[in-house]
Amino acid sequence: MSNSEFVRVEKLNRVFDVSKPLLNRIIERQPKRFVHAATDVSFSIAKGETFALVGESGSGKSTVAKMVVGLLPATSGTVEIDGVSITGKHDRAQMRALRRRIQMIFQDPYASLNPRWRVASIIAEPMLALGIAKSKAEAQHEAGELLKVVGLNPLDGRKYPHEFSGGQRQRIAIARALAAKAEFIVCDEPTSALDVSVQAQILNLMRDLQEQFGLTYLLISHNLAVVRHMSSRIGVMHFGKLVEVEESRALFKNPRQSYTRMLIDAVPDISAATRR
Amino acid sequence: MSETILSVENLRVEFETRRGTLVALDDISFSIAKGEVLGVVGESGAGKSMTGAAIMHLIPRPGRIAGGRILLGDQRIDNLDRTGIEAIRGRRIGMIFQDPLTSLNPLMTVGDHLTETIRVHLPLNRRQARARAIELLEEVGIPDPAVRIDSYPHEFSGGQRQRVVIALALCAEPELVIADEPTTALDVSVQAQIIKLIRKLCSTRGTAFMLITHDMGMIAETADRVAVMYAGKVAEIGKVSQVVGAPLHPYAQGLMGAIPSLDNEEPRLRQIPGSMPSLTALPDGCSFHPRCERAMDICRQRAPALLGAIDHKVACHLYEREEVAA
Repeated sequence: MSNSEFVRVEKLNRVFDVSKPLLNRIIERQPKRFVHAATDVSFSIAKGETFALVGESGSGKSTVAKMVVGLLPATSGTVEIDGVSITGKHDRAQMRALRRRIQMIFQDPYASLNPRWRVASIIAEPMLALGIAKSKAEAQHEAGELLKVVGLNPLDGRKYPHEFSGGQRQRIAIARALAAKAEFIVCDEPTSALDVSVQAQILNLMRDLQEQFGLTYLLISHNLAVVRHMSSRIGVMHFGKLVEVEESRALFKNPRQSYTRMLIDAVPDISAATRR
Repeated sequence: MSETILSVENLRVEFETRRGTLVALDDISFSIAKGEVLGVVGESGAGKSMTGAAIMHLIPRPGRIAGGRILLGDQRIDNLDRTGIEAIRGRRIGMIFQDPLTSLNPLMTVGDHLTETIRVHLPLNRRQARARAIELLEEVGIPDPAVRIDSYPHEFSGGQRQRVVIALALCAEPELVIADEPTTALDVSVQAQIIKLIRKLCSTRGTAFMLITHDMGMIAETADRVAVMYAGKVAEIGKVSQVVGAPLHPYAQGLMGAIPSLDNEEPRLRQIPGSMPSLTALPDGCSFHPRCERAMDICRQRAPALLGAIDHKVACHLYEREEVAA
């Protein structure tokens, strides 16, 4: 593991206020109620590495992911990307430069692409918005190139999202993330909406692109087998806390926490067929 | 394995549309024995849910069974009328759906659900039905069933709700339970509990399960035999150890290689190029040939038949030829 920390997350906290309305609280004499979705979460990711967060639903992994990309303000704690804090105060230009380098791929490719835009425009948008391409024509041309990179036909750019299958849409979402010349991509359950044979295609593509562009991934998933396959280090989340951070192989061979052990044992695995 | 509970013979389901007739299921044959779990796997659109729906007469219109037979025990059930199938649905064949929240009525307590279903199927009075409901909840592992029976579905967790749905399916002691993606909406740890529960019910009650899922791991852990479906056909069927451990059909081989496994150290997953054809554009011959790396001329011309030994059959020309040669 290299020591160059590309992404550093320190003591990240997020508290949601789930109190009843003020009047109810007064009448029912109830105090305010809070949910600690993330408590003192700290980890770092080296450049070119894949770090994964696993946990069951409600463990806070997506909350952490949203805070890391800045979609959700943290209650306390810091997120630094390449030495620049995204949680602190910034001028707009600095923030903009940072945003370009962080992109996100969402779980549901049916919801994350605008159905009324042509695919080329969807991919060209970040290039225009962030000033990477100088003209519309250049952005459109570049979009065609990116479609090739993710294994689609450049001519597909004229189509609309509904003309594509789930796996192809996820490819488009990946192309859009690459359009911003992102270095750090947060993937929130990128394959859980896909069939296994298509999942394999997307996971292989993500690996190839990582090699080609030196991408850094934060992978959020509930699927331990996917996580095992993709990441070099893994953080296990449980009730908003990071209970264990370990190198991938070591974690599966010798988990230190009983919760991690339980999670690993619970995974239905195809090798069970030959064991039984 | 002796007594056959369900046998499906050459089942064909068609949808009449303006653009012609679509064949959703083509020549499906399999059987399930008492106390056995048959896994049905395939990717979305392969026809696995449609097979379950056909058995229960739940095919959405304009679909219809266009050929073949379905036998429950000795009785033919594919040609029953409405009252005929209603005597079987829930009574002799139970059904478990994917999402436990939407298959329970939020305005009824769990006890109301259970006693209503029990009294429809069995000649019991209210008190007896309630006692039986409590027993059932106990059996599926709901703690403190005598108290929990008066709770509403929203007061249960996802895993517990699925247990309640399983209890509902078991109300009338059916011979067969069709479970359509029973654990897809659940966390892994809860999923493992449900798998255990299904296996327990098979061994203690002798209930047969038809387990429809896309999760090969779930099949490997739960099922005795497995049918791999592709584009409305059975590609391979046999014992789990054979089909998952040493698959014959190129699609099944690709599918097993595509699954990331906890033991797998390979940096790249095996991938099957392309995706499953839609029913409107099925290729001629074997419907897998455009994605198959071992496709031959005959694959483009003629669809292979499901052949082989009784306990392991495969539909692929690669093996058909061997048989002729032998």
